[in-house]
Amino acid sequence: MSTLAELAFSRQDYAYAFLDAFAKRELRRKILKAIAIPGYQVPYASREVPMARGWGTGGLQVTLALVGPKDTVKVIDQGDDDSVNAANLRRFIARMAGVKTTTDALEASLIQSRHRIPEEILRPDQILVLQVPVPEPLSWVEPSYTRARELHADAEYGLAWLGIYEDLVRYRSNTHGADYPVLVNGRYLMAPSPIPRWDTPKLHLAQHLTLLSAGREKRLYAVPPHTEVRPLEFSDVPFAVEDQRGWADAQTGVQNKFMTEIPLEGGQSRYQLSDSDYARKAALRLEIGATYYDDQGTFYIPGFLAERKASVAPSHAEQSLGTD
Amino acid sequence: MAYVATRGGERAIQSAEALYRWLNRQYDPGFVRDLETHLPYLLDRVMGEGSLWAPELAALAVAQTGGDLYEAVLLLRAYRSTQPRIAYAEPIDSGSMLTVRRISAAFKDIPGGQILGPTLDYSHRVLHLQNSAKPDQSLESPENARSGALATIPYVADWHRQTGLMQPLKPDPTPPAEIPDLTRDPLLFPAPRAQRLQALARSDTGGVLALGYANMRGYGGIHPTVNEVRLAYAQVQVKHPVTGAVFSAGRVRYSQAEVVTKFKTGADGKPALELGFAATLGWNEVKLIAASMLDTAMDLPEPHPAHTEEFVLSHTEPVESSGFCIHYKLPHYVTFGSDLDALRKARAQAESNEREGVG
Amino acid sequence: MQTLPLKPPQLTQHNPVVRATGLQKTYGQVVALRDVSLVAYPGEVLGIVGESGSGKSTLLRLLNLQESADAGTFYLEASPHDQQDLFTLDRYQARQVRVRHIGIVYQNPHLGLRMNHTSSGNVAERLILAGERSFGSLRRAARESLQVSDFPLGRMDDPPRKLSGGMQQRVQLAKAIALKPTLLLLDEPTTGLDVSVQALVLDTLKRLQYELGITMLIVSHDLGVIRTLADRVMVMRDGRVVEAGLTDQILEDPQHPYTQQLVHAKL
Repeated sequence: MSTLAELAFSRQDYAYAFLDAFAKRELRRKILKAIAIPGYQVPYASREVPMARGWGTGGLQVTLALVGPKDTVKVIDQGDDDSVNAANLRRFIARMAGVKTTTDALEASLIQSRHRIPEEILRPDQILVLQVPVPEPLSWVEPSYTRARELHADAEYGLAWLGIYEDLVRYRSNTHGADYPVLVNGRYLMAPSPIPRWDTPKLHLAQHLTLLSAGREKRLYAVPPHTEVRPLEFSDVPFAVEDQRGWADAQTGVQNKFMTEIPLEGGQSRYQLSDSDYARKAALRLEIGATYYDDQGTFYIPGFLAERKASVAPSHAEQSLGTD
Repeated sequence: MAYVATRGGERAIQSAEALYRWLNRQYDPGFVRDLETHLPYLLDRVMGEGSLWAPELAALAVAQTGGDLYEAVLLLRAYRSTQPRIAYAEPIDSGSMLTVRRISAAFKDIPGGQILGPTLDYSHRVLHLQNSAKPDQSLESPENARSGALATIPYVADWHRQTGLMQPLKPDPTPPAEIPDLTRDPLLFPAPRAQRLQALARSDTGGVLALGYANMRGYGGIHPTVNEVRLAYAQVQVKHPVTGAVFSAGRVRYSQAEVVTKFKTGADGKPALELGFAATLGWNEVKLIAASMLDTAMDLPEPHPAHTEEFVLSHTEPVESSGFCIHYKLPHYVTFGSDLDALRKARAQAESNEREGVG
Repeated sequence: MQTLPLKPPQLTQHNPVVRATGLQKTYGQVVALRDVSLVAYPGEVLGIVGESGSGKSTLLRLLNLQESADAGTFYLEASPHDQQDLFTLDRYQARQVRVRHIGIVYQNPHLGLRMNHTSSGNVAERLILAGERSFGSLRRAARESLQVSDFPLGRMDDPPRKLSGGMQQRVQLAKAIALKPTLLLLDEPTTGLDVSVQALVLDTLKRLQYELGITMLIVSHDLGVIRTLADRVMVMRDGRVVEAGLTDQILEDPQHPYTQQLVHAKL
């Protein structure tokens, strides 16, 4: 005969995947709304989770709302699976959801990432969750979120364009580093999270779903598959990815993938592939999937990126830069 | 079988945590209980900001984090968000709380009387050096009150209203179930007043003090008078979901403050006093006086950050502000690399301009 | 002052560009505008005179679509909304009309300019808002607009905060006319400038008015400015128009006691 204790579910300290059912339901609704309005920032309640705000709590909540026992999860930070924060988040997700984890971008069904998109092209059945520190792409020109929301409502992005104009006038080059503002589906200006410009084009007409979530600012937004994502660029001053031509990974000799520069004594540098699992595959000569950029550094969608010229601004823009 | 990564990164964080715990020594349950007994104001602050009344858990949080208050608040908040929302308590009738301290700076004497209560306000701020060597011998039993406490203590603000100096209190028509809950509905601006008061209740003591102080020093143009500060024990009353009977679920330390500002134009077009209000779990007078001033200051028309609602409430959230601050410790080498690329490009451009003699 | 060839009179053969009727505005207990109507014809300069508190600034804010009137209508030849009372537009449409069809120069340059951006950027912003996405074209258009506003082009990339008051007004002007607006609003554009600078800015305004034929509405308490620029004048007091007519007629032969007082105080 069974005892009552045996028949009952054993008591659990935490719900499956940590968040309670109400929190998950809210997140899923907001995710659906975000997918329905590409690039639009959907406010959500944002629960406290056992990580500090700013350490991926937004991405984590989205991951926890989506993860199921059959998922395989990959977590990266700066392209690296083994970065301490990535390791910490992966440990937490695995512990709370009992899922398999992987470092292989092609093996994962759910990828949570901070500041990078993998080099290998993601498939339609994969979801990428990007952690977002500052969801408001206008915050560099309009610090008030209240006013920024009005500007979004009116699709009034003159200030952002003006910012680029000012850059070009003052520095004769675009000073945006990572987190380059993009226009999604021709409507909403979006902060793609601080991914390098190298990764920005990967969002354009992607096959996979990208979810972006800022826990501290309580906003989530999405780039659904096959959605246009275009960086803000003047017609005569094209957007340019980081110029790393000639940089080769110190271990494998691979070129034309995003590199991390490591300073050496005496002012020299060496370079390391930023996507650590891509580096692992390259070093072990494992099979590598199709990549967004080929070995010559050409982006897989022809014509989307302007051909890269010398590292100074193109000459036809130069003429008009003159001050008379 | 999936490749499960247990490499350098995970070992490093486990070792780092172990080293931290070893350096901070182990604490025993007795220490946690002592914290609860001897550091009530510390725990009040943690519970107020953590928006969870649980002295034993707050003591544990303080012990577990070695006294790092932002970490302790985060522990409470994260624990709180895992707990089911069983019910909303009935509103506290703050007139009939067990009030232990209630002072007004507006009048010499007030209906219901000034109650000084437990405070260090008029103590000499000298270190009791002798107490570091041997137990405190100076403790005297407090004197009993000569008369019993009043069952209800009237509000000074009621007097203002009776005399017409303040607009009559307009009852909020929102049914209790529809009052927006900061932890369930995102804060958007302009915020409903309920959410504003909730945000102030769990705001960072230091942050609210900084911005409140800015208003006091003149960045705001309000000239507040502390109408009332109350410290009390309040009953948490809950309606039974089946029988509908209201029962007491326990007692919490609760405090509230009211300030009045002079000469604001009221709804009738005549100058009137305006009331600023703040309340929180635990006894935290500094926070509440500053917060209640911010409550009125946030209605001022001039857009100075120190009295702009979005600015005040966004920047006094302890978990968000401290979390974002320390997140800068995380590696940022991808973003920094991208920035360096933009910088090098701009420098190359500047050099080429110099060569060509432009600009 | 340079002499300009006389223009043939061109008053009523056109339909008015601006038509506002029965404008009413109150702030709390204060009535700022009572039943104010005005029309302006193509290329005409309409002056509005009155002391502070007379309602002229409120009138300008309404015509700039920054606020809507409590009562009254406002029509402007501003496609695609020229058949529509502009006070009925939503915020987005109003902004579009403001960008494409209405220019404004404020007395206080802080209201009209981004003081820390470049001067050329201040002008370019207007073109950006109208959809221009070529950097080269923005540069060219900003330069042109600054040039016709008699702004020294060597300083086109200096921020307004580093410029003199006169130059700041020229940047505002360049910004206001960058898209050849239907209506140019001038709110005390030369008040506070040195007399010599004031004369030069007035010169520029007069030349622009002649060359571009923009309909202008100039608010000033300075009758000299009005006499120099305006074809017709409206005199306002306590939110009402107390007298209106041709500039010469009003200034030489004022009928209303208040206007008489104004004109005599000036003499």
